[in-house]
Amino acid sequence: MADTLQLPATLDALGPIRAFVDAAASAAGLDHKASYRLRLAVDEIATNVITHGYEEAGLRGDLELQAWRNGETLTIILEDDAVPFDPTTLAEPDDLGTPLEERAVGGLGVFLTVHGVDEFRYERVARRNRNIFVMHRQGADDG
Amino acid sequence: MALEISSTVHGSVAVIELSGELDAGVAQRLRDETVAMAGHDGVRTVVFDMSELTFMASAGLRVLVFAKQKLGQGVELVIAGAQPAVAETIELTGFHHSVDMVETYDLDALGNA
Repeated sequence: MADTLQLPATLDALGPIRAFVDAAASAAGLDHKASYRLRLAVDEIATNVITHGYEEAGLRGDLELQAWRNGETLTIILEDDAVPFDPTTLAEPDDLGTPLEERAVGGLGVFLTVHGVDEFRYERVARRNRNIFVMHRQGADDG
Repeated sequence: MALEISSTVHGSVAVIELSGELDAGVAQRLRDETVAMAGHDGVRTVVFDMSELTFMASAGLRVLVFAKQKLGQGVELVIAGAQPAVAETIELTGFHHSVDMVETYDLDALGNA
């Protein structure tokens, strides 16, 4: 059995989504740092889905979250039926050493996601986007 | 927790105190507030007091990029008191090269800088 959360895909959903992830991280015994990184990762991808996948495409729909826990890992699954998009295909920003005056503003969220979780995957299943975030329950504070 | 923004101007220094969580849903408010505060006559430094900020998404970073690009060289941005997790995001993305990060700030020292 997984814990689940389903709610309309608007930016107002971000707070409840973070609370859901925080509760799952606590239940899995993740330390503060790992919990924060997981919250940030799910928040960033959910933000992309809401703004690019739904709103900019003129679509409305839901976000559905699941939290799965086993002995080794905590897995958060985020599903939507917005525009198909695989964030793992985004190139890493190549201007992280550039002064802000010359920066482009895209790609930071996915960068933080990929660097923050132990594993990040995307699947396209039954016409839905599925973003998968995995954290190891042991050694979660190894950085 | 929602984002609370509280701003004050002390001579050439504007201080924007942030409390709560800064995500994409509320970033526009901070963007507007930053522009308004930096627009006060004679303001040369904008301090973001993040000591009570418990979460910051990349939308917060984009506010800083926007501010830096909009306000130009005439205004310095300072981030004060960022909690470790928020500071990690700022450093991971290289923003600490463009924004002064300090633990605490002294209005008199900033005003006279």
